Amino acid sequence: MLEQVTRFNESGKRHIIEVFHVYKNYGPRPTLFDINLTVLENEFLFIAGPSGAGKTTFLRLLFRDEQVTQGHILVKGINLQRIPRRKIPLLRRDIGVVFQDFRLIDHYTVYENIALVLEAAGHQARYIPKRVHQVLRMVGLEKTLHAYPARLSGGEQQRIAVARAAVGKPLILLADEPTGNLDADASDMVFDLFAQLHKLGTTIIVATHDKLLLSKVRARIVSLDQGHMEIKNHL
Amino acid sequence: MNPTKIVSVLKRMKRNFVATPYLHLAATGTIGLCLLITGCFIILYTNLNDLIEVWQQDIRIVAYIKDGVSDRQRTLLAQTISKLNGVKEVSYTSKDEALTQLRQQMKHRSSLLDGLHTNPLPASFTIDLVESQKNRVNVTLLSRKINEFPEINDVEYAKAWLHRFSGFISFFRLASLVVGLVVFATTVFICSNTIGLTLYAQRDELDIMRLVGATDSFIKAPFYIQNLIQGLLGSLLAITLLFAVYNIFIAKIEAYGALMATWEVRFLSLTEVYELLLIGVVIAWLGSYISLKQFLKS
Ligand SMILES: Nc1ncnc2c1ncn2[C@@H]1O[C@H](COP(=O)(O)OP(=O)(O)OP(=O)(O)O)[C@@H](O)[C@H]1O
Ligand SMILES: [Mg+2]
Repeated sequence: MLEQVTRFNESGKRHIIEVFHVYKNYGPRPTLFDINLTVLENEFLFIAGPSGAGKTTFLRLLFRDEQVTQGHILVKGINLQRIPRRKIPLLRRDIGVVFQDFRLIDHYTVYENIALVLEAAGHQARYIPKRVHQVLRMVGLEKTLHAYPARLSGGEQQRIAVARAAVGKPLILLADEPTGNLDADASDMVFDLFAQLHKLGTTIIVATHDKLLLSKVRARIVSLDQGHMEIKNHL
Repeated sequence: MNPTKIVSVLKRMKRNFVATPYLHLAATGTIGLCLLITGCFIILYTNLNDLIEVWQQDIRIVAYIKDGVSDRQRTLLAQTISKLNGVKEVSYTSKDEALTQLRQQMKHRSSLLDGLHTNPLPASFTIDLVESQKNRVNVTLLSRKINEFPEINDVEYAKAWLHRFSGFISFFRLASLVVGLVVFATTVFICSNTIGLTLYAQRDELDIMRLVGATDSFIKAPFYIQNLIQGLLGSLLAITLLFAVYNIFIAKIEAYGALMATWEVRFLSLTEVYELLLIGVVIAWLGSYISLKQFLKS
């Protein structure tokens, strides 16, 4: 049985992600240590922390790329410990991910990389090209449609990764250091896109070690350091 | 599967093939080779079986009658024998008839027989068997029984080759089964490894697909279809080759003429052709199944 309980806060907002006493060990020493966090629907959240703090590891737990060693994570009220294997793809369609290392398929064109998400989800053939053009325009890269990722600059690849994460109109967008390779203009463009998605109701979680970025965007910030999470402003 | 997914699957199939064409050809060739061996066995087997059947038609017991047995005793004996289990018909050949037959067989050398003063040939019963009883065990039993009648001098049937041949056939049957299974398992193994290699070559791509929400079946589909096509192509290849070899072989044999009068070397029947195609598909399916299962588990 899937434990599917949806909780709401006082103002009636849904708890879209709930993390209870989560530990993650790769070796004997925990990478994540007793993490507790609740993310509300349509929240904009930063996870800030230095390199090696465990940000990527934490995000990977959220879309079930990794499993917790101890504790529980609920996404949309679904316990990720108990989710059957065949349901994982459905979970992932609700979560768009901008990977720190982009994870683009290098022998697919930009178009094919992005369209893949929609094909896998079984969208109608008519809709796919329209939507792919749309997200590419949003990241300012509609000219690169037929290019291969390796031919693009690091910043361009990063924006393609953002476009791919957004293309499926996910409920939750996880962005792991999404502006690491970007100059100020490109970075602004990516955050404009995030803001647009946020306005449409998407929950956005951005992991970064860029302190400057934190001051630029209005969002709740939790910090992660050596596997410990510190929540300054509670809900 | 909706149209979008089908198109995506086809695109990925093409991509797979273009990326590693030799690997795919090798897989097809392997399946082909396996089925070639299997097909050879089937042809050999069915034809040997046919041959045995032809020979079994000829199985009959000849019982030689002692000289001096009276006509009445002989008629009674014939009746007794024809009532034995498995006997279809008993026919009598007199001493004179036996000699005439021998003369006919010897043709122009029959003058050699003119010098005989007495007929040395015995009279005999030729005992035809009921179709279902024409096997080694029954023939042996029946001959022994008939030999026990005091009027019978000796009983003859094709003892030696019958024994040896039925022994050989059961050995051949077992051997084909063992060889067939080994060849089958080896081919499945080779196929799953070949597919494993193509999967490994594309592991990044497949991982990414899973991360962006592709189901296992969406990921697997092109591999399955591709392998089933390869299985079919492999089988067709094997059947074509077999047919070519068969025709060459037949032409050679026919050069030896009437040897084959009662025995026609058959090619695979239509059902057997279908069976070979099916085996090819099963091999491809199993190979895909094993390698994909292994890959997606990791
Ligand atoms: N797959 C893994 N196997 C073993 N150890 C791992 C693995 N992934 C992460 N770690 C360890 O966990 C710790 C946290 O890594 P993580 O990648 O989560 O940090 P991060 O906060 O994302 O850092 P960065 O800002 O540099 O990306 C590191 O010490 C790393 O060595
Ligand atoms: Mg990281």
